[in-house]
Amino acid sequence: MNSGLLKFALAGLLFLTFSAASSRAQGTSNRDADTAAIKQTVAAFQDTWNTHDAHALAMKYVEDGDFSSVKGEDSHGRKQLEDHYATVFGTFLKNAHTTDTVRSIRFLGPDTASVDIDWLVNEPSAPGGVLRKGLLTWVVTKRNGQWMIMIYHEQSF
Amino acid sequence: MFSAKAKFILAVLLVVPFSARPSRAQTHSNMDADSAAIKQCVAAWEDAWNRHDAHATAMAYVEDGDFSSTTGIPSHGWKELEAHYNEIFTTFLKDAHRTDTVKSIRFLGPDTASVDIDWQMTGARTRDGKDAPNRKGLLTWIVTKHNGQWMITIYHESVF
Repeated sequence: MNSGLLKFALAGLLFLTFSAASSRAQGTSNRDADTAAIKQTVAAFQDTWNTHDAHALAMKYVEDGDFSSVKGEDSHGRKQLEDHYATVFGTFLKNAHTTDTVRSIRFLGPDTASVDIDWLVNEPSAPGGVLRKGLLTWVVTKRNGQWMIMIYHEQSF
Repeated sequence: MFSAKAKFILAVLLVVPFSARPSRAQTHSNMDADSAAIKQCVAAWEDAWNRHDAHATAMAYVEDGDFSSTTGIPSHGWKELEAHYNEIFTTFLKDAHRTDTVKSIRFLGPDTASVDIDWQMTGARTRDGKDAPNRKGLLTWIVTKHNGQWMITIYHESVF
């Protein structure tokens, strides 16, 4: 009797054992796809930023995302993030336009990566039309197949 | 019924899928210890930097560590890192002293964390040797744990 049951149990356990291992290996083989998807996330962030849509921009972060400004001032979570973007787009960035170019991506795990992005903010009244130039440094994480911003830092130089 | 051999195989197969779990649970209880160890790592790095020891400063990174300066100029790996520190410690930062204070730590996994560090610097000079104003800003590191030791994987710094 039990040999059928035993084989079934063994097959089930073998599947459990190796499905965990293969999902780990898959992380490496999908790296090109993840790199492309992260670049898509950056491009979508840039396009949303350029529409000055504070709500949509905050939604590019995970729910408890962290933002830190060029002065090291923090915003934490979607509500604070949206308030922050609404403030800047209502004031000194009202006529600003950003260009974000991915410089490098370093994976920290299958679902986590650090991304360096060259950053240029144009604003008509700024000297030479350039308000900010520098580097964005993000930690992104994959949630339900979607790469999102977990930690955002920016530096201006 | 099941032979002893079959029971043994079953037992092993039951253990394997679940053996990964305790290490994850353990992480939570070890978070305080890891936070303390990360602060130690920052303090040790600050100390090596203030001794102007380029080799020790570079060795606080993982072997393929990434540094990016306040103007976004990168150095990659121990050799480039040590050469970078050697250059700054013998030129415009030769009398400089820094103070680093951990502002926040966010864990990205059991062995990975993002660390924000307030930094200040006195004694810096301009590239042509004149006294430079005191500097301050934010260091943002990704640190990873290797053989129980937290090390710098990615270093960014901003000045404001």
